Amino acid sequence: MDEDVLTTLKLLIIGESGVGKSSLLLRFTEDTFDPEQSATIGVDFKVKTLAIDGNKAKLAIWDTAGQERFRTLTPSYYRGAQGVILVYDVTKRDTFMKLENWLNELETYTTRNDIVKMLVGNKIDKEDHEVDRNEGLKFARKHSMLFIEASAKTKDGVQCAFEELVEKILQTPGLWESENQGQKVRLGDQEQARAGGCGGYCSIP
Amino acid sequence: MAADNDPESEVFEITDFTTASEWERFVSRVEEVLNDWKLTGSSPLKSSPEKGEYTSGTWEEKSQEINFADFKFYITHYFLKQECEQDDGKERLEEDALPLAMQDLLCMNNDFPPRAHCLVRWYGIRAFVVISPGANCEAIISESKCNLLLSSVSISLTNSGCQVPVFVQIQQKWRRIYAGECQGPSVRTDFEMVHLRKVPNQYNHLSGLLDIFKAKIGCSLFPLPPVNIAIRFTYILQDWQQHSWPQQPPDFDTLLGGEVGGVEFGKLPFGACEEPISELHLATTWPQLTEGIVVDNDVYSDLDPLQAPHWSVRVRTAENPQCLLGDFLTEFYKLCCRKESSEEVLGRGLTEEEGKENADISQALSKLTEPSAAVPIPKLSVSNIVHTARKRIRRHRRNDESPLNTDILNSVLLYVFPDAAVEKPSENGKNKTAQSNSTGTAEQEKNPDYNLFLQLKSAPSDSLTYRLALCVCLVNYNYGGLRAVAHLWQEFVLELRYRWENNYLIYGLTAGPPDLRCCLLHQKFQMLNCCIERKRARDEARKTSDGSKDRERKVSGGSQNSRQAADSSREGKSWDSWSDSEDEFFECLSDQGEMEASQTEGGKESSKTKAEGRLHPYNNLTLLNSTELLYVPVTQEPAPMTEDLLEEQSEVLAKLGTSAEGTHLRARMQSACLLSDMESFKAANPGCVLEDFVRWYSPRDYVEEEAVDEKGDKVLKGELSARMKIPGNMWVEAWETARVTPARRQRRLFDDTKEAEKVLHFLAMLKPADLARHLLPCMLHAAILKLKEEEAVDDIPFVKKTIQQATSQACKLLHPPNHDYKKIEDFINQLTAMETVITRARSLKAKFAVGEDEKGETSEELEKFVSSLLEEPEVVVTGAGQGPTGSIIHRLFISSQRLADFTSDEAALLAPVDEDTGSDRRPAGLSIKVPDFPPAAGREILLRTCVPRPAPYSKALPQRLFCVLMKDEFRLAGAFSSDTSFF
Repeated sequence: MDEDVLTTLKLLIIGESGVGKSSLLLRFTEDTFDPEQSATIGVDFKVKTLAIDGNKAKLAIWDTAGQERFRTLTPSYYRGAQGVILVYDVTKRDTFMKLENWLNELETYTTRNDIVKMLVGNKIDKEDHEVDRNEGLKFARKHSMLFIEASAKTKDGVQCAFEELVEKILQTPGLWESENQGQKVRLGDQEQARAGGCGGYCSIP
Repeated sequence: MAADNDPESEVFEITDFTTASEWERFVSRVEEVLNDWKLTGSSPLKSSPEKGEYTSGTWEEKSQEINFADFKFYITHYFLKQECEQDDGKERLEEDALPLAMQDLLCMNNDFPPRAHCLVRWYGIRAFVVISPGANCEAIISESKCNLLLSSVSISLTNSGCQVPVFVQIQQKWRRIYAGECQGPSVRTDFEMVHLRKVPNQYNHLSGLLDIFKAKIGCSLFPLPPVNIAIRFTYILQDWQQHSWPQQPPDFDTLLGGEVGGVEFGKLPFGACEEPISELHLATTWPQLTEGIVVDNDVYSDLDPLQAPHWSVRVRTAENPQCLLGDFLTEFYKLCCRKESSEEVLGRGLTEEEGKENADISQALSKLTEPSAAVPIPKLSVSNIVHTARKRIRRHRRNDESPLNTDILNSVLLYVFPDAAVEKPSENGKNKTAQSNSTGTAEQEKNPDYNLFLQLKSAPSDSLTYRLALCVCLVNYNYGGLRAVAHLWQEFVLELRYRWENNYLIYGLTAGPPDLRCCLLHQKFQMLNCCIERKRARDEARKTSDGSKDRERKVSGGSQNSRQAADSSREGKSWDSWSDSEDEFFECLSDQGEMEASQTEGGKESSKTKAEGRLHPYNNLTLLNSTELLYVPVTQEPAPMTEDLLEEQSEVLAKLGTSAEGTHLRARMQSACLLSDMESFKAANPGCVLEDFVRWYSPRDYVEEEAVDEKGDKVLKGELSARMKIPGNMWVEAWETARVTPARRQRRLFDDTKEAEKVLHFLAMLKPADLARHLLPCMLHAAILKLKEEEAVDDIPFVKKTIQQATSQACKLLHPPNHDYKKIEDFINQLTAMETVITRARSLKAKFAVGEDEKGETSEELEKFVSSLLEEPEVVVTGAGQGPTGSIIHRLFISSQRLADFTSDEAALLAPVDEDTGSDRRPAGLSIKVPDFPPAAGREILLRTCVPRPAPYSKALPQRLFCVLMKDEFRLAGAFSSDTSFF
């Protein structure tokens, strides 16, 4: 089954505590919703294979605890991630206000700077939104992220969020190929030309 | 249609190829290839090539094997890549336009291209096919074979209607003799060649060659249409004696001398040890002359190079001149590929003894680390062991021939550990070390290059790791190679161990947990430093707590080990038991289940008991069940991790799978930290409940709502969030398990002793090659910095660009976990190439006196000239012999000529070359002594015309003769076209 997998991608889910990171993941991987989802301790881990445009990608998704205190522990798992889902709760303004901190955290701990970022506003099934969709959009644009509003409870936007993210990663050259067939740096082609038989100053020694 | 229906035409007509000869097969094979390459039919419309397009455009070639019987040939198509003209078709009407190749014979835009196939140079054609023998040693010598091949070509061309000229290479390959043919609509061109070793006297000048050309054309028209002449003379300057190459190889011996300041070790050498420019070729060209304008015969010549309207220069560079930086890197790279372990390198004797010493040490340590150590051994004794071991080894080596000279070893160590100079076994010394770790970083961060280490995953340029890399490289190159490196590494690891044993921080590492953005070795060093720091903190905590127990909460993250909080009688002992190296998760506490009830109950009881390990109040909140302030406890700091440990751990976590149990187990494994925090919290807040803890730890899980109580007042009512209330969830479970224990009495989450030993073991086990591989990023980092620094001095824009490209390439090379060593080798070669280019630039600048006082405009021109020489195959000299650059070149030739004319002694006595010889022309009579220029190394004369051939009433067609006259080569390459309809 693994043979036709194009690549394995490492994804991260981060955001303040209680915004529904684990629920989003559970919805995506098992298509269920557990109202009694307990608070994550440290990091959790799920795997799912996703087919995008006929290419299968195996996703290793690391779910993290949002509590401040765990932040001494979780960022070590950021290494090598190609994509990140940054979640806030549309009914809790403070979870939106903290996004900037999370981006800084990412900046500091991820090993690559071309990591693809997606912003997800979760819990849109609930009433009394405190964060307007436009604010989310504006934030995402400012930080060059993908953006979607979603609800782990009602399924809205969840699948789409993951698919978009993966697609974007696959479109980013050099982000996922294990081997970068990098172009070689050449110092002009003087040397080469000289080596080639008749090249150059052929009639003069 | 009628014919189709004719029954007679349906009779099969058998064409029989069964008896086709080898020759026929060869001909058809050639046709086939020409067809495959789509070279048949009249040539697509293309404009004549732009001036210089042969140089600036790209040439491509296609090749294929082709057999004549069992003799192998290669047939190759060479062509200039050109955009196909999208013409409106007005030229298309000219049905019998000449084939492109014939038009090219007369085109003057690309005479003497600096870099092209010889046939391009001789015939000016932009596309052609060559058939040459397959093996280099093979040659078509006999005339009949040549003719056979030429006839084959001729037949193939006619059959296929190909208008591209086809050549056959005859005679030995090195002679580069080709014969060929081009066919067009009722025209053909024959390409013929003469190649002699000596220039016949009667043809040693223009007039003789003109005679041949005319005779060959055999045109009877009178007057003959004018012959167009282009001439190029090339002069070679080899003698740079007046500019001896200034670069001196660094004097390594001085390092051995008295003053071993250690400064020298921080630098990489740079530059070529020999002249990187071997020759200068000056080409003087008369691009367009007509017969009669110049006289050049056996007695007189008008062709004075100084008067040539067009000068161009090319330089010939020395093949791989020895360059120091490149050598260093290459040797270092070779070190990466060695297989030997330190033991094999240093020989059994040395390591065995050391092994014994090490065994002693580890024995001593294992005694110490044994949890049940009854009698704590004073630490000093350990360091004594190490110290004596060191001394012993040193002494031992001094007697034998040690791989690395003791003086050098000491100065290397002093450079790597600069704090050792001030190190004293006193508290002062320690403090100094700690302070100096953090100085100067603010300044360096401003430097844009400072952060290069992040991209390359190396280490900061002022770090221990970086310094070590430089030293290993130097020691490898200059002080004994592999053996010396192994020796140095052993000493280095011993020094680290000494520091660990004696609580001296390692100098030159940023404090804090390992920086995962740096190379693994750097992380390991940082890890060791973390261990040392924790151990120091612990030891100091013990001292202070011995003094007064009240001050113990100052110790942040103090991680004292204690089995039982209640068992205070054992406390004293547990201070000294250094380690509890068993990995235990908190599940082990389940055997204390019966205690739990009393524990939680006791929580209320102990509200009167003294709080321990408070850090500070938390937002002025009070506990829910009392009026006490809620305190943030002193907590254990999380265990620092290096990337390999982290990798291991995430693997373990990932292996638990994605099932619910897996998730549960994962949470459990990671809850040690949570549990420890809960215990600390309980200790700091006697009488607290889980709600209190959650309010601090995960505030969003404590939901507060305004409610109205019985009296009608608004009050805030709070409760745990739904998910925290799930019975049996991990948080509740952990809370119930958690005992009242301040951080300092908890089991250590991070066992510094064990981790330090692991690091030291890892380091000691590294083979020299492993070490080199770990240091490779730092080495490449250093090399790039060095190149940048050197480039900045000379400002060579294209090198600057290449360095940037190289840097980003290095990022890619050094990041993936598995380095591709082949690519790294290529990369090192590129760095070396850049070094070579910089040294070439320097050499040229010195020769052309760039930057020496000249007037602004001139020096600017010279600078541009020099930089183009580096980038382009051939550079035009503005103003030819009369311009400022030209006069410098002229002067170079004059002095070289004078030197050649006199013995060196006499040369020394010669007056310096007159400054303005460039502009002043000497009367012919005076110049008998020494000519300014040596005899031309090569003379090329190109004759072209367009005349009817073979008969006067034939079509006028292009004729061309390219003559090459050299000291021991004479070549005439002629292309003569004739009308095949009207002769």
